[in-house]
Order: sequence, then structure tokens, then C-alpha cells
Amino acid sequence: MIPKKSEHSPAPLEEVSTNPDLKKKVNSVKPRRKVKSDNHNVTGYLFISPFLIGFFSLTIFPILYSFYLSFTDYDLLGTPNWIGFDNYVRMFTADPTFWKSMKVTFFYAGVAVPIRLVFALLVALALNKVVEMVGLYRTLLYLPSIVGGSIAISIMWRQLFGNDGAVNSILASIGLPTHSWLGDPDTAIWTLIILYGWQFGSSMLIFLAGLRNIPNTYYEASSVDGAGPIKQFFIITLPLLTPVILFNTIMQVIQGFMAFTPSFVVTNGGPVNSTLLYVLYMYRRAFEYFDMGYASAMAWVMLVIIAIFTAIIFKSSPHWVHYESENK
Amino acid sequence: MKKYILLCMILVLSALLSACSDTTSEADSADGDQVTLRMTWWGSQSRHDQTQEIIKKFEEEYPDIKIEPEFTGFDGYFEKMAAQAAGNDLPDIMQQNFGEYLNQYADKGLLADLSGFVEDGTIDVEGVSDTVMESGMKDGKLLGIPTGTNALAAFYNKTLLDEAGVEVPNENWTWEDYVDAAKKVHDETGKFGTRLMEPKNLFEYYLREKGYKLFNDDGTDLGYTDDKLLEGYFTLNKELIDDGVAPGYDTIQQIKGVEDELIVHGEAPFDFRWSNQATALTSAAGEQELGMTLLPGSNNTQGMYLKPAMLWSISENSEHKEEAAKFINFFTNNIDVYEIGGSDRGVPIKEEIRSEMSSDLNETDQKVFDYIELVTENSSPIDSNYPPQSTEVLAALSEVDELVMYGELTPEEGAKQFREKAMSILGR
Repeated sequence: MIPKKSEHSPAPLEEVSTNPDLKKKVNSVKPRRKVKSDNHNVTGYLFISPFLIGFFSLTIFPILYSFYLSFTDYDLLGTPNWIGFDNYVRMFTADPTFWKSMKVTFFYAGVAVPIRLVFALLVALALNKVVEMVGLYRTLLYLPSIVGGSIAISIMWRQLFGNDGAVNSILASIGLPTHSWLGDPDTAIWTLIILYGWQFGSSMLIFLAGLRNIPNTYYEASSVDGAGPIKQFFIITLPLLTPVILFNTIMQVIQGFMAFTPSFVVTNGGPVNSTLLYVLYMYRRAFEYFDMGYASAMAWVMLVIIAIFTAIIFKSSPHWVHYESENK
Repeated sequence: MKKYILLCMILVLSALLSACSDTTSEADSADGDQVTLRMTWWGSQSRHDQTQEIIKKFEEEYPDIKIEPEFTGFDGYFEKMAAQAAGNDLPDIMQQNFGEYLNQYADKGLLADLSGFVEDGTIDVEGVSDTVMESGMKDGKLLGIPTGTNALAAFYNKTLLDEAGVEVPNENWTWEDYVDAAKKVHDETGKFGTRLMEPKNLFEYYLREKGYKLFNDDGTDLGYTDDKLLEGYFTLNKELIDDGVAPGYDTIQQIKGVEDELIVHGEAPFDFRWSNQATALTSAAGEQELGMTLLPGSNNTQGMYLKPAMLWSISENSEHKEEAAKFINFFTNNIDVYEIGGSDRGVPIKEEIRSEMSSDLNETDQKVFDYIELVTENSSPIDSNYPPQSTEVLAALSEVDELVMYGELTPEEGAKQFREKAMSILGR
């Protein structure tokens, strides 16, 4: 900053003197500028170099390396040998557990993500109406998400839905039949879905911010025209919220496909693999069966799947997302 | 001016980088003659406490060696070790497991050959029986020193058996006796007649008792050809579940560790597991009396085997193998170790230690010692022909077992499916 100023200050002086001189100056400045801007870039890069070094060595390199590993038989302990597409071929043709985990994950993401979004939106709508102590409610409702990814919550969940857990105690006390929620292959996945839905905090906050951005005048005007709250929701709130919905949907779909902790801690994939989420199976392949090459291939397949879903959502967005800055 | 900023940035950056590298090199070399060893193990909280106390004793005796412990539960231990192995960063001293794990590490040449240390006397294993030492051998190399001896045991809850009027089993009981006793307890008390057997160790025992092995000698195939064997094993368990005598997996899954087992709560009279878990079971069982005997079967002498509870290994990448060997020697030969740890890592492998300990053993440890004695006389050598993929084969067995026990496959289909899965894993 400082050198810039000192170099610029003599310029106006010369400018006043003669015209040819000025031209000369302009010409001679041009190459110098170039050098200067290069130097500036170097300084800039140096400033962000801690990030850059971390980004390249801890993010980009492992990503590319895992791509290479996906074509090898790397077993963590030995040296990787190139085996071409064998991992991918085996995955799609000779591994029923892979397909099972794929099915479980699609079901999980397909059910849990909409549940979380709807829930987050409903709570955000309710919070938007609260006048007093909004901060308190917001914090309380956000809490599950802060501790959400943690082991502690998953362990708590296991206790809640255990055979002697709180859920069964409540059912028994009001005279309903109890159930082995985690032990039954049909219900175990639902406990994980409920857990995912319950951690709606971050989406809720984003929805809330979106709701606050809708000018009150729209509601006032529409109520003058005789629109009730439900109609208002569908003609004002929802359309104006679509950009936020788009963002939340994409983020949640990605998160849903990558869920790991709940199935690892609450059910450990069981019973009979009914909660074997994709990432958990990948983890087992890599670290329990020493099949890192195969696990890397699985990771890349998941990347492609998530990319496809994100692309579909983006491509479809012009049809349903409404930006205020556009004509209407 | 710019130059100064540039210079400052470079200085800061290089300072940062060198700061990072400094810490590591410092830890490695240490000053003076002090040597720092890393040591890892898995276990329960009581083992963590005991082992740290043992380390303290060791450091008192060898002031120039410092040991940094790293410990976790069994879940996750080998995953963590795998990551360290990949980073060429295995600990100096490593608690290792017999069977598929040892074979895997041997296969990759990750463990140091300890025979040199045994020959020059750094590790004194004088008088330890050959069969015990052999369990640490692989391909002619001594890759681990057993921490102690272990065996599968049929634990029974005497209090519950008495209540049901069922005779306490002895080492001559058969599978029929087992099923009858379980049914009778269930009929008399309404409780479970036994805990469900999990196939990981018990199917192998079942096969051995019938004269077969789980894997063939070179580890390329299953060790049995007739699927009726696995079918019989499945049927035995499935019928007990269907009759309500044994709990299904939905109940088993809820058990939170050894201290929470059904036998401890007096909910089931039988439980088949490793003998070194006797202390944990007994202390959790409180008033109820637990006993142990050989697993059922008319040929159980052929089925039973002694297993090293765990092994101490030294990693090939260790820079201080000599010091690590000193610790293993200390663990094997120092009576203090066993006064602190009891039979938690199995019954000591050295005769002197055993006899020195037997004077003031507590009741449970005495039972375990007697039991190991009994097994020593009534057992056959352990199978060590586990192929590197055996973890995955055993996981497939558990998976199929769950499917059968949940009634989604018949025992016959299950046995067939397991063979298919095992073959595709072993054939890779």
C-alpha cells in the first residue's frame, strides 16, 4: 500500500508540465506496472501460503492419490500394484454387500433429507413468529446440531432406543407394546433417520435468515387483498424462499450421502446390514479388510453419485427457484 | 519496502515450517541417553490402569527408558494400527493378536524377528513350553512373545443352575447335554437357557471338535467340504432361538461389554468365551457363583486348544528394538507385573512365575489357573493357517449367521451362501 502511494505522488507533477513527457511516462509505466503486479501476486500468495500448502498437501494430493489408488490393490501395508479397473469391475459385478450398502444409503438419504428440510422449515416458520426470547429458543433448537455429529449423541441414541431404553419405557407406561427398535432389521434404519431429522439446526438457521429477508410489506399488501396465512405461505413465503431451499437441499443431500457416525456408533451397520451406510462399508473395506484400493474406488463412485445429484438439482433449479433480482 | 515485506513473509514462513519439523526431530533424538518408546495395547479400563502401573515399575528399573503409552478398546485398535502401518509409524512395542492379525502383519514384514533377542538372552523365555513359543512363530521367525495363555471356556452360572435343579456340567458333557440343560433351565425358570453362540470363535471350535479345520492348510479354501457341518451348527442355534431358549441377535446386540453379559445378570446360565475374561465376569456377577469347564462335545479334547491371549511384538521400523525387547523381558519375567495385572493377559507363560503366584492367588485367578491346567491336558495344537483375508471371511460368517438367526435364510441356504462368499474372498 505504502509504496504505491509514494510512486504515484510524483506522477501528477509531471502530468502538468508537458504533453510528450506524459506520453513517455505512460509508455514507460506500462511494463513497470506489469512487474509491480507480479510482485504483488507473490506477496499475496505468500500471505495465503499456509492455507495453500495445507490445501495442496492435505486436500488435493490425497484426493488425487486416492484416485490413483483406486486402480491398485493397495492394502495399506504393502506397495500398491496397478490392477486397472479390477476394483470397479469387482464392485459392480461381484460384491453384493456393495449393492446392499448402496440401497441402504439411497433409502437413508432419500427419506432423511426431506424429513430434515421440512422439519427445519416448520421450526423456522414457528421461530419467525416468536417475539420474545428468540435467542434462547434459537440456541436451544440449534443445540442438537452442534453436538450432532458427535459420538456422545449417537451413544445416547443407542440408549434411547435400546430394549430397556427410554422409548420403550414410555411406550410401556402408556400401555403400548414395546419393540426392539435397534434389533429389528426393519426399524433400525428409522432410528438413524429420526436422528438425522432431529439435527435440523443449521438448515433451520439458514431458513430463518431467509424468512427474515422477506419484506413485511408483501404480507401486508396481500392481507389487504384478502389472503389468509396459508395462501400467504404458498404465494409469498415459499417462492421467495426457494434460493435458500436450493442451497439447503444441496448441502443436505451431500451430507446425507456421506453420513457415517450414526451407523458406525448406533448400530454398527447391523442388524443383518440393514443400516450399513455406504461410507461405513467403505471404512470397513479400508481399515478392517485392508482393502484400501477398493475403498478408494468406492469413494470415487460416491463422488460421481453426489456430483450427479448436485448437477440434477442445479439443472432443475431454473424451473423452481425464484430470484428476486430477476424480473419478478 | 516491498522487499522487506517479502523478506518478512519468507522469514515467518520458514520459521513456521522449521517449527513444525523441529518438534518431531526433538522427540526422536531426545537429549542424553534417554530413549523414548511408543507402546500400544487394547483392553478395558482396568487393563489400562494396570498396564500404566506396570510401565511405571519398568521405568523405575530402567531410568534411561521412557515409555509413551497409547491405548484404546479392541474396537478400532487394529484400524488405528493399520493407519500407522501405512504411515510407516508403528509403535516400538505393540500388543498383537494371534491368528489372522499376526499372519497379516507377518505377511507384510512389519514385525521384527525376536529370535536374536531370545538367543542372546535379552528376552529370557527359559522353560516356556515349545507349543506356547510356536504360537508366536510365523515362517520360521519369532514375531511375538505370548503375554500369557488363554483358552475358550464354558462359563456357567452355578446359582442359576441350582435354582433350576440342573446339574453343573463337567468336562465330559456333550452337545446333547448342553441343549438339554439349556432347555431345562428355560422351562424351570423362564429365563434364557443359554447365551446365543457367536460364530467367530465357536464355529471353529465346533469344526475342530468334529475333526475339521476352518481353513485348509495353505489357506486357499475352507477346511471342510461338507456344508452339513455349518448347517448343523446353524440348526443347533436356530432351534434354541425358536424355542425361546437362547436370545436372538436383537437381545445380544444390546449387551454393553463383558460386564453386562446375560450370565452376569443371572439371565442365562451358559456363556462360551475366553478364559481371561473370568475376572471381569466374576467381579460383575457379584453374589452369583460362576464356574468354568471345557466346551461341550464328545471329542472336546480335539476341539479345545491353548491360545496366546495376546503377543508382544516389536515393529520392524522401530529404532530401539533392544530397549523394546528389554520391556518384553521385564513383562515376561517380573513377578510385579503379575501382582498388578493378575491373569488379565492370560496365565503367565513362565513356570516360575506361575508357581510363585499360586501361593497367594485370589479365588478367580486360581480357577483360571486350574482351568488352563485342565485344558493343557485336554487339548490339541492350535490352528495357525489363517489366510490374510480371514478377517473378511469371518465377517462374512457373522453376516450369514445373523441372516440365519433372523430367519431370513434357512440353515441350509446359509451354509451354502457362506461357502460362496468365502470362496470369492479367498479366490481373490
